[in-house]
Amino acid sequence: METHTLRSTATELATPDTDEAARTRRLWGLLAAISLTVLLAMAFWYAPEDANQGPVQRIFYIHVPSAWIGFLAFAVVFVASIAFLATGARRFDELAASSAEVGVVFTTAVLITGPLWGRPVWGIYWTWDPRLTSFLMLWLIYLSYLVLRGYVPEPIRRARFSAVLGIVGFLDVPIVYLSARWWRSEHPTQFVVEGGDLPPQMLVTMLVGVVAFTFLYLYLLSVRRRVARLRAAAELAEVGR
Amino acid sequence: MSWLGPALAIAGKDLRLETKTRDVVASVGLFVLLVVVTASFAFPTAGAGREGVAAGVLWMAFLFAALLGMGRSMAIEKEDACLEGLLVSPAPREAVFLGKLLTNLGFTFAVEVVILPLFIVLLQLRPGGGLGLLVLDALLGTLGLVTVGTLFAAMAVNTRGREAILPLLVMPVSVPVMVAAVKVAEAGFAGGMGEGTLSWLLLMVGYDALFLLVALATFHHVTEE
Repeated sequence: METHTLRSTATELATPDTDEAARTRRLWGLLAAISLTVLLAMAFWYAPEDANQGPVQRIFYIHVPSAWIGFLAFAVVFVASIAFLATGARRFDELAASSAEVGVVFTTAVLITGPLWGRPVWGIYWTWDPRLTSFLMLWLIYLSYLVLRGYVPEPIRRARFSAVLGIVGFLDVPIVYLSARWWRSEHPTQFVVEGGDLPPQMLVTMLVGVVAFTFLYLYLLSVRRRVARLRAAAELAEVGR
Repeated sequence: MSWLGPALAIAGKDLRLETKTRDVVASVGLFVLLVVVTASFAFPTAGAGREGVAAGVLWMAFLFAALLGMGRSMAIEKEDACLEGLLVSPAPREAVFLGKLLTNLGFTFAVEVVILPLFIVLLQLRPGGGLGLLVLDALLGTLGLVTVGTLFAAMAVNTRGREAILPLLVMPVSVPVMVAAVKVAEAGFAGGMGEGTLSWLLLMVGYDALFLLVALATFHHVTEE
C-alpha cells in the first residue's frame, strides 16, 4: 500500500517546480521585500514615539505580527493535518510540515522580542502571564512536532503521526490558555496595555506589519514546500533504486 | 457494545502477563517511590505552604509513573509482533485503543494506590476530608495523561526514538491537565474543595472527554501499516 501511494504521486514529484509555482513564489518574495521595507520605514518615522515606553515600544511592530503569523501557521498545520488524514494526499503533509517549521521560526521571534521589550518596560524578562505561557507552550508543542518528524524515517508513517500531533497540539492551545489564565488569576496586575486607544498611526503601522509578515510567511512557506517536494523526490529516487 | 469485549480481553491479557512477571508495576513503583523520596530532600516539604509543594511533587511522580507504564505496555506489544497480531484480529481499532488505555490506567493506578498513602505519611500531610478529592483528582488527572499518552505511545514505539520520545510528545500537550491536577491536589492536601477547585475539576473532565474522542477518532491512523 505504501509503495502504491508513493507511485501515484510520482508524476507530480517528477516536476517539483512548475513555472507557475516559481512565479508565485517570486511574487510572494517581492511583495514581502517591499512591504517589509515599508514597515521598517513606518515603524521608525511614521509611528509616533510612545509617551511612556519610549522607542522600545517600536519592537511591537515586529512582535505582534510575528505572534499573528505564529498562530496562523499552526492553524494551517491543524487544517492541513485534518486534510491529510481525510485524503491521504501528500501535498497536505508537505504543507503541514512546512507551515510548522515557519511557525516555529516566528514563535521563536515572539519569544525573543517579547522579553527584549519586557525588561525595560516591565522590569522583567519573563512573567507567567496567560499569553506568554500559552506562546511558550505553543512553541514547545511544535518543537516536539518537528522532533517527531525527525524520528520517523518512513514518509507515510511520518505524515500520519505528525498529522495526529498537529491536531492534538492545536486543540490543546485554547485549554492551555484557559488553564494559564486560571492558574495566575490570583495576580490581579494586568501588564499588557490593550489596543483600542492606540493612536491611528500606531494602529496603521501594526496592520501594515501584519500584512508584510503574512507575505513573508507565504514566501517562506512556498520556499519550504519546494524543499519538501525536492526531498520527497529524492526519497522516492532512493526507494526506486 | 462491540468494543467492550475485545478491549477487556486485551486489558485482561496485559493484566495476566503482569501478574506473572510483575515487570511494570514493581519497577515503575520503585522508581516513583525513589522520585518521591528524592523530591522530599530536594524541595521544602515542611513548614507553611507545603501543600503546594507536595501537590507538585506528587503529580511529577504520577506523571513519571504514567509515562513509564505506557512506554512499557506498548513495548510489550512490539515484541514478537504482538501489535500486528492485534491489528489483524477482527477487534476494531477503537477496541484496541480502549484495551491499551485500560491497561495503562491499571498500571498507573496500581502505582498511585501505593504511592499516595505513603506520600501522605512521609510528608506528614493531613488531608482529612480532602482524601476523597485526592482520589477523584488522581482518577481524572491520570485519565487525561493516559488518554493522550496511549495515543502517542502507539506512535512512539514506531519511531527511531522508541519510548524515549514519548515524554517529548506527552509533556507539552498535558500541561493543562498537570496544572489542574496540581491545583486540585493542593486543595485536597489542605483539607477539601477550595475556591476554584470545581473549575479545575471541570477543566480536567473537559480535557479528558475531548482527547478521548480525538484519540478514538485518530487511533486507526497511527496504527495503519
